[in-house]
Amino acid sequence: MSSGAPVSPPGSARSLYAIVRHLLRLQRWAPLTWGLSLGLSCALVAAIWPSISDSISQAIASYPDAIKEAFSIEQLSSADQYLDVEMLSLIVPLALAFFAIRSVARPLVGAEENSYLDALLSVPLDRRVLAAGAMISTAILLAVILAIIWLMTWAAGLAVGAGIGLEEWTLGVVNVWPIAFAFGGFALLLCGMLHSLAAVTGVASGTLIAMYLIDLLGKLSPDVEPLRVISAYRYYGSAVQDGFDLSHALGLTAAGVLLAVAGAVLFNRRDIR
Amino acid sequence: MAPVIRTEGLTKVYGEDRGIIDLSLECGKGEIFGFLGPNGSGKTTTIRTLLDLLHPSSGRAEIFGLDSRSQSRAIRARVGNLPGGFAYEKHLTGRELIQLFARLRGISDLGRAEELAQRFDVGLDQPLKQLSRGNVQKIALIQALFHSPELLILDEPTSGLDPLMQAEFIRLLEEERGRGVTVFLSSHDLDEVERICDRVAIIRSARLVAIEDVHDMHRRAMRHFVVRFDRPVELEPFAALPGVQQLELVDGRLTFSVSGTADAAVKLLAGYTLTDIEITHPSLEELFMTYYGGDHE
Ligand SMILES: Nc1ncnc2c1ncn2[C@@H]1O[C@H](COP(=O)(O)OP(=O)(O)OP(=O)(O)O)[C@@H](O)[C@H]1O
Ligand SMILES: [Mg+2]
Repeated sequence: MSSGAPVSPPGSARSLYAIVRHLLRLQRWAPLTWGLSLGLSCALVAAIWPSISDSISQAIASYPDAIKEAFSIEQLSSADQYLDVEMLSLIVPLALAFFAIRSVARPLVGAEENSYLDALLSVPLDRRVLAAGAMISTAILLAVILAIIWLMTWAAGLAVGAGIGLEEWTLGVVNVWPIAFAFGGFALLLCGMLHSLAAVTGVASGTLIAMYLIDLLGKLSPDVEPLRVISAYRYYGSAVQDGFDLSHALGLTAAGVLLAVAGAVLFNRRDIR
Repeated sequence: MAPVIRTEGLTKVYGEDRGIIDLSLECGKGEIFGFLGPNGSGKTTTIRTLLDLLHPSSGRAEIFGLDSRSQSRAIRARVGNLPGGFAYEKHLTGRELIQLFARLRGISDLGRAEELAQRFDVGLDQPLKQLSRGNVQKIALIQALFHSPELLILDEPTSGLDPLMQAEFIRLLEEERGRGVTVFLSSHDLDEVERICDRVAIIRSARLVAIEDVHDMHRRAMRHFVVRFDRPVELEPFAALPGVQQLELVDGRLTFSVSGTADAAVKLLAGYTLTDIEITHPSLEELFMTYYGGDHE
């Protein structure tokens, strides 16, 4: 018997499918942990709305204008607006951008640190396909987590009769996906340059928080205002208060894709330590 | 016939640190080629460069006549690789790991993997984190072998295997060689390499010291003798042995080394009544001394 006839490696599409499937499987609990915890928080906010709506409106009226503008609370007269202020303006995008950063970086630089890539890259797998798989599985998981958040909140709203606006809430939730995805792309770019999961997570989440602060300060101070263009949060805005800005959403998605492509090229060229 | 592995001035430096410097070697088809060197000598660096995990600082490598950098995917399709210190996602079972690798190799028949698992006596249904180190190493061997590759690249393959499994592994390698498979294996164990390999490249401090036929190595190799006798003996007959070194007689315990064949020493000892005898191979350091003539860094 001779050794096996040379097997031609599977095409990129098949490899990509296998990798995405594998990475989704590795993170099969993520929708539950992230979706459930954020979904519960949102559901809670929706559930208490009916009991506090009157006092909130009075309190808001007494806030200075600058504060109202900075935190996008010009008016707070519906459950979806309350959800927007409490959850969608900070916690949910921050948490999911952080999730995306980890979800992209773990199978790349995290696997590198654990020597997992020495094993995985024994097979005829293109590193760019692996990187693409990390992005795609993250994109899918983000969508699933957001769907869980949407559903739990909607259900809670129905149960207590909070009167959440369907369109506003849906677009508000959908609007989180592009900014989180963009940070996934940024994490991939960093994976092309750094060799440690802690470093990638640190730089990416530091940038995330810095961008939030720049956007917040830019709204408060005219001096900082011009800087807002470099903040992803400027393009995130508030879909609930101001309507869904498709061009911004597509822009953030495109930025995520471009960063990811650059990251994949660098990741392919660099040494695996 | 074109060599299966060929490196030409292959060099990989890590900033200030040297990994491997100016390595040129050829490894032919059907050969079990040993890559022998002490810790930190550059074995893993060489292997990871061959597999395109590391990019050479200079020089180049070819496998099956394909460029190790630009044609790595085509190479890896035909290679089975056992990385040193193999590790993968801990909660995957052996079977899940093999299935993943099979999918990525475009293979659907896992028959050989099952066969190997039986042969190495390891279950495929336990998560890696529940397996002992030796059993993880067996899974690593299976993933390197299950697709019947033409070339096996094995970084310290026997590490963690008990002697029984090591013997089984050596039998397996001999079968593979019988089918024309080429094996490139690294080790820091001289005995092991002498037992398994046809030819051996010896590296030290990132540089190739020698490439030798194992038979030639045996011929120049040193053997240490430690002998006890049932009564006091004279030193003279032993001092007359050809190539004898480090001859010492302390408390009735005779120690000496001979290089090359041990035949004369054994014949001489046959005339005595021994209470104990121990014959050992030289350490790697001593082997290096035979190449450097005792002058080493
Ligand atoms: N990622 C790295 N960064 C910097 N230096 C490295 C790196 N990997 C290896 N080295 C250095 O390169 C040299 C060769 O290391 P290598 O791992 O190739 O040795 P080895 O022969 O496989 O040793 P061992 O028998 O311990 O496995 C060592 O001096 C090591 O310190
Ligand atoms: Mg090593």
